[in-house]
Amino acid sequence: MSVLIDIILAILAIYLAFQSLLAKRLTQTVFIFFAFGLALALAWVRLGAIDVAITEAAIAAGFMGVLFLDALRDFSPRTSNNQEKTEAAKDIFSKKNTKSLLLPRVALVLGLVLFLLISLEAIWNIPDGGGLTVSVETMLPESGVEHPVTAVLLNFRAYDTWLEIGVILLGLLAIFATGGIKLYLKPDVPAQDILLRQVILFFTPILFLFGAFLLYIGKSGPGGAFQAGVLWAAIGILLHLGGKPVFSMIPRWLGQLLLTLGLGFFLLLGFILMAGGATLFEYPPAYAGVLILIVETLAAISIAAALTAIFANLNQMQEKPNDIESTT
Amino acid sequence: METYQIYSLTSAVLFVIGLGGVFISRHFIKKIIATIIMGGGVFLSFVSFAERDALTFADPVPHALVITGIVVAVASAAFALALARRIYQLTGEESFTKDK
Amino acid sequence: MTDLLTSPYPALLVGLPVLLATLSLFFRTRGKALVGLLGCLLTAGLAIVAFIEVAQHGTVIHILGGWEPPLGIMLRMDSLAAVFIGMTAVVGVFISLYAWQYFRADESGPGEFPLFWPLWLFLWAGLNGLFLSNDLFNLFVTIEVIGICAVALAVLSGKTTAMFAGLRYLLAAITGSMAYLFGVALIYGSTGTLDLGLLGQVLEPGTTTTFALLVITFGLMVKMAGFPFHFWLPPAHSAALAPVSALLSALVVKGAFYILLRLWMEVFGVSITYAAGQLIGLAGAIAVIWGSWQAFMQTSLKLIVAHSSVAQLGYLLMIFPLLILAPGVTADSADWLSPAWTAGIFQVIAHAFAKASFFLSAGLIIMALGHDRIESLRDLVGNMRITAMAIGLAGVSLIGLPPSGGFMAKWMLLKGIFLSGQWWWAPVVLAGSLLTAGYVFMLLRLAFAPAREMGTFKPVPKSLEIVALILALGSFLIVFPADYMIQFLESTGVFGSGIESIVEGGAYGND
Repeated sequence: MSVLIDIILAILAIYLAFQSLLAKRLTQTVFIFFAFGLALALAWVRLGAIDVAITEAAIAAGFMGVLFLDALRDFSPRTSNNQEKTEAAKDIFSKKNTKSLLLPRVALVLGLVLFLLISLEAIWNIPDGGGLTVSVETMLPESGVEHPVTAVLLNFRAYDTWLEIGVILLGLLAIFATGGIKLYLKPDVPAQDILLRQVILFFTPILFLFGAFLLYIGKSGPGGAFQAGVLWAAIGILLHLGGKPVFSMIPRWLGQLLLTLGLGFFLLLGFILMAGGATLFEYPPAYAGVLILIVETLAAISIAAALTAIFANLNQMQEKPNDIESTT
Repeated sequence: METYQIYSLTSAVLFVIGLGGVFISRHFIKKIIATIIMGGGVFLSFVSFAERDALTFADPVPHALVITGIVVAVASAAFALALARRIYQLTGEESFTKDK
Repeated sequence: MTDLLTSPYPALLVGLPVLLATLSLFFRTRGKALVGLLGCLLTAGLAIVAFIEVAQHGTVIHILGGWEPPLGIMLRMDSLAAVFIGMTAVVGVFISLYAWQYFRADESGPGEFPLFWPLWLFLWAGLNGLFLSNDLFNLFVTIEVIGICAVALAVLSGKTTAMFAGLRYLLAAITGSMAYLFGVALIYGSTGTLDLGLLGQVLEPGTTTTFALLVITFGLMVKMAGFPFHFWLPPAHSAALAPVSALLSALVVKGAFYILLRLWMEVFGVSITYAAGQLIGLAGAIAVIWGSWQAFMQTSLKLIVAHSSVAQLGYLLMIFPLLILAPGVTADSADWLSPAWTAGIFQVIAHAFAKASFFLSAGLIIMALGHDRIESLRDLVGNMRITAMAIGLAGVSLIGLPPSGGFMAKWMLLKGIFLSGQWWWAPVVLAGSLLTAGYVFMLLRLAFAPAREMGTFKPVPKSLEIVALILALGSFLIVFPADYMIQFLESTGVFGSGIESIVEGGAYGND
């Protein structure tokens, strides 16, 4: 019975992945992608990876879905109205090109099918490596937390997690690098939408409390900095949509501090421990629990700030291209 | 067939769909989504092996790796989306044309 | 593992640039540049100190969090890592000095790009982290850091062509890292460890291992622009700002090569066959010919230099077939391993210096002319003598004429080829050099040709020209410590080692 559920879920995920790439309209693509993310989250639950499920639902499906939805305002008018026409036109114009394009495509698809067959065999015949469950279980009492995933993330492999917090900040910096962006734009859009304001008023405390709960529970169960950070980022995104861009309302230095706090404190703590003769991120077992909670809280704040800023910046990219009228 | 086997096989299928999508899809957004689907496949294989290696609890190391991986993938995808939107803003193009 | 010396340097080499990059975010335009430059100097200094430490005490390690592998992550700085880190430091510090002056040049300069500094410092941290990493998954995180930084730097100029090229680069980079990660998942699933050292001991040959090797190699080939996945490199490298082009081609692509080399030599020995090496070598050979030919056909300077990168990276792939021994040959009897390794390392370093110099010179020419179409290079010698000299010297090193570092690399490669009896690679090396000579001498002929019109060259800061010249000279000076460097590298087990091929390579033995 349970195998049946898994098979249905697996087929659903594959179907949705296919459909999101094959869908004719971009809107469909984005919504099917969102559904795909949720299907994957269910798969994580079935595999007993609750932390991963929350992360997937919150960041990969949720946050990314919101970014794609926001992007639809740019792309969709052209795609929904003109895409089919232009594609039809292209077909007419490129009748003679079709043949030359067909062969590499067929070769590519055949290659992919072959690749798939080999990968299926490779996965089917995979030797049982045993994993690291035993090592984690032995060392868990020294890690300062009770939840094994949190122990791995913030103690055993803290270095990876530190770099990952850096990657989120880098993602934001990279978005700045594309240009045409003002982080500190003036809050010129008044929140005239009463419903939106009510939604914000209602959700802000709930999101905040739920985020704090996830952060605290990460010590002993599924949850932690990333999940909490995304929930807090949702507050920032809601405020932004309500015409209150967070980064414009706080002083510049405070914004920068919020963005860099997680990465900076994590590293400085590591350096301080190193100065005391330990290696980087080597927490003394007695204080590990407290230190991890502080690191996680600050990391969650920085993640929330960075995700909010990423959304805010992408949200500004809504002006129509200048030459679009002349070309169409 | 056990649960982990179903999902580990699914992971290969998702990876290949994503890989194909990156090459075949034309629209920027679809290419970006294809990379996320690829990532989904990879992460699914990690977690399915974690389930296989479960004792009192599932192997937490792949779970942690996947959480890291998801966040890293989302940061890259958000950057790619920003670039795609910026290109659209500057030129009105939604896909790579042959001469670019 | 515990008998190696624990040292704080590996952790500092990653931590310090990140700390300074974070700090620089708090400053405005000029302050960012100042903190950034200071950060570059400090990081370079630290790298040199760490290099000396390794030279004196041998391999040093840093066990992060005090958790030994396989549970934790270990940083390991052996002589190979030290050489790459040292190269990054020396080339990086000159590019930083150039960038500092280049972005401040008032009239003809491109303007100020304050974001360059934090991104470059993050990139530096990522590169150091990659060279030091001893963990498959951590390598993934570092290549992602490098990938995001590299693309962000590449699009910094804000030009539309740079945006297109950047998105293509980014999509290729993400695809490459996901393929790499898929291989890592399979390896973890079949062994339960991510540590390179442990994997080298426990990895069993079989379908899964071979397939993992295949996807990992595919992913890294995409990342290092190996043929046939080089399509993203020329547009991305040529559309970027001059210091960025220099960073991308001198340092960033070497990261993926470094992982490929390490994984093939240290981890996947059990599933690599002679044929797989030949296939990689073939990809390299095609890249050498194709890239050089494309470079020869271009009409703008930066595109010439960018296509030349594809060719020069091809030489790096050509050492792989030499390092994999035919069945029945043991590593002790294979006297071509040391020349092949030397060729690889010197190709990496000489190319880093020469290509950085070439791109920085191209940036100066754009500054002087406003564009880089090569027909306008007439009388470059009369107008920008130092830049012309830099281009000439860098070109000589790329061709591989004596006494340059490039000559040493190509000479050693030929020596390895003949000693190993794989003579079929030799014509490729020679043809590549001839084609390279073709485009370099075409540039020099134009540079010496008399001008048709007067006064098109705007003056450029002398200091910038001198930095470009120093880097070009660097590609010659590296020959002097060659003996010492080879000795130093031989203290690492991996240098000079080969893969003793097994006869039964599995059903998918071919790469």
